Amino acid sequence: MKSAWLGCLLLGSLLFAAPQDSDTNVNARYTVETVILSGKGWTTNLQSETTNKISLGLLHALTGIIGQKVNPGYLDTLAQNLKRELSAREVTHRIVRGGAPEHVRVEFEVRPARASVGMNINQFLYNSKQGFSGSGEVAVTTGPNVIALGLVSNADWTPERYSGIVARYEDKSVGTDRLSFKFEAETFHTQWNQSTTYAMEANPQDVGALYRSRQAFQPTATLVLFQPLTLTVGARVERFQDEGPSATVEAADTVMASLHYHQSFEGAAWQQEFDADGSLHSATRVLNTDYVYTLRTAGVRYEYRRGKQTVIDNVWGGYLTGIAPLSDRLVLGNAEYLRGWNKYEIDPLGGNRAISNSVEYHYGPLQAFYDAGAIWDESQPVVARHSVGLGLRESVFSLAVAIPIRAGRVEPIFMMGILP
Amino acid sequence: MPEPSRGIQISRRRWLLAGLVAPLLRARASENLIVTFDGDNLHLSSLGVHFLQGNSLSRLKEGSTVEYIATIGLFRDPYVSQFKRIEHHFFVSYDVWGTGDVFAVSTPGPPPRRATNLSLSGTETWCLERVAVATSGIAHDQQFWLQLELRTVPPKLSSIVSGGGIHLDVIEVLTPGQEERQTFRTGPMRLEDMPRVRGRRG
Repeated sequence: MKSAWLGCLLLGSLLFAAPQDSDTNVNARYTVETVILSGKGWTTNLQSETTNKISLGLLHALTGIIGQKVNPGYLDTLAQNLKRELSAREVTHRIVRGGAPEHVRVEFEVRPARASVGMNINQFLYNSKQGFSGSGEVAVTTGPNVIALGLVSNADWTPERYSGIVARYEDKSVGTDRLSFKFEAETFHTQWNQSTTYAMEANPQDVGALYRSRQAFQPTATLVLFQPLTLTVGARVERFQDEGPSATVEAADTVMASLHYHQSFEGAAWQQEFDADGSLHSATRVLNTDYVYTLRTAGVRYEYRRGKQTVIDNVWGGYLTGIAPLSDRLVLGNAEYLRGWNKYEIDPLGGNRAISNSVEYHYGPLQAFYDAGAIWDESQPVVARHSVGLGLRESVFSLAVAIPIRAGRVEPIFMMGILP
Repeated sequence: MPEPSRGIQISRRRWLLAGLVAPLLRARASENLIVTFDGDNLHLSSLGVHFLQGNSLSRLKEGSTVEYIATIGLFRDPYVSQFKRIEHHFFVSYDVWGTGDVFAVSTPGPPPRRATNLSLSGTETWCLERVAVATSGIAHDQQFWLQLELRTVPPKLSSIVSGGGIHLDVIEVLTPGQEERQTFRTGPMRLEDMPRVRGRRG
């Protein structure tokens, strides 16, 4: 609990840190007429053109300053974000006179990098019932190629706690910007919660065995079918070393395919984001695998922003047939789905059917949410569960208390950390 | 006997000496600093002191704010034993819509002050007029040396927070932006030898 309070103080200081003072720059009184983005051999005037070189979020941020007073501190932030997204050596910005009096043009110049080395913390989470989870990596980027080596310890996404090493190679442009390739290798040591081992002893036939470690190799290729729709296809070769004296090694070799759709809409005072994805993982006898199963998942996420207010709805569901390894079983009661419930209490072995819906309302950094969902096995009755929560969210920093709605005593779950 | 192709040989001692001296050369010392005394404070004259130049001036003309730090040190001996040190911060910007080269400058204080529509030399003068060293604790017959160091604060490192988590650019951290630094020195001097000028108000 001490670490929780320490985390609260740290996050609080980050959330309420004083903003940069733009009063020190005399140009803060002028209005931004247009934003020009340029690199080696390309220039985009964001007042009249768009670009797919950067994310929609950053594009909105850049176009959002048009018509506003100059905020030099924010221009620095935008330049830093451009540098990161474009893996550039340097992004400089200059303010020059615009066409109309008291108006200025903001010009960002991108200088490409030959290579960059970055350290990333992709996730760091504390859950008062599940402990700490985190992942970080060191990545070397040269042009469209990325080589990364990272460490992971996660007790949030699957019924197990897995800890180990991940390595990946990525080519973001295989001949064309529409095709990318990724190869991932993982080796994890696994720890099981007592609830999971008890549940396994009571129900050993319907699910895969407990294992002490697993290794996987996963090559995938992603193709942009048309601009908002991407298709990913690939394979996953995974080996599990079972617990017990014999230490049998079992295989789960799957082929996979997923579709992802992303669309943004923007009005004068509002923005909407729509994401939909569906995936299929299939391990069949043809692949000479010990586990034979098919996992289908689908999700839709909608976000509406207006001023400081944001409303988000996130629906997700999964359907598993056959006997899958525990790492591929569905989980609710974590930091993303059915927050407030403890996954070790409601589904210590995971489930083979799950459906979840989250509704969130944000006002600035304040956040309120209502989650509902059910997780079950094919032979079990469906039990719907609900939870509510309050929290703070600023950028990637999150702090929340979630309460399961049920009869009897109230047991809130406290979550905080860095979430993408 | 040295091989002819190797030409002049540089000994390891000379390399070591060069390594030690090189950083000192960056701190270009000038001895033409003019110091005045109003009975309570020492003041610096901007005559011969020009710091709005080089890369920082280019950054200014691109619309950025450049932070300058003026540090005054008083020494008992030629720039070794410092007994007083004062630091002032100035935020300078260039008015892109100004007529000619027009600057604005502010200082966080206390009290905070701000001036606009200044020429390049006017900006340098404004900054140095706000730099004063109280002479309390300095005996009137005490000999001392004064050093003014003017340096820029390099552009800030990228924010480590991004939508995907926390990201640290290792190359950027290992090769931070260069600060520009100029040093001006004068001495020895004694308060009793200095002609008194009328007191200035900031």
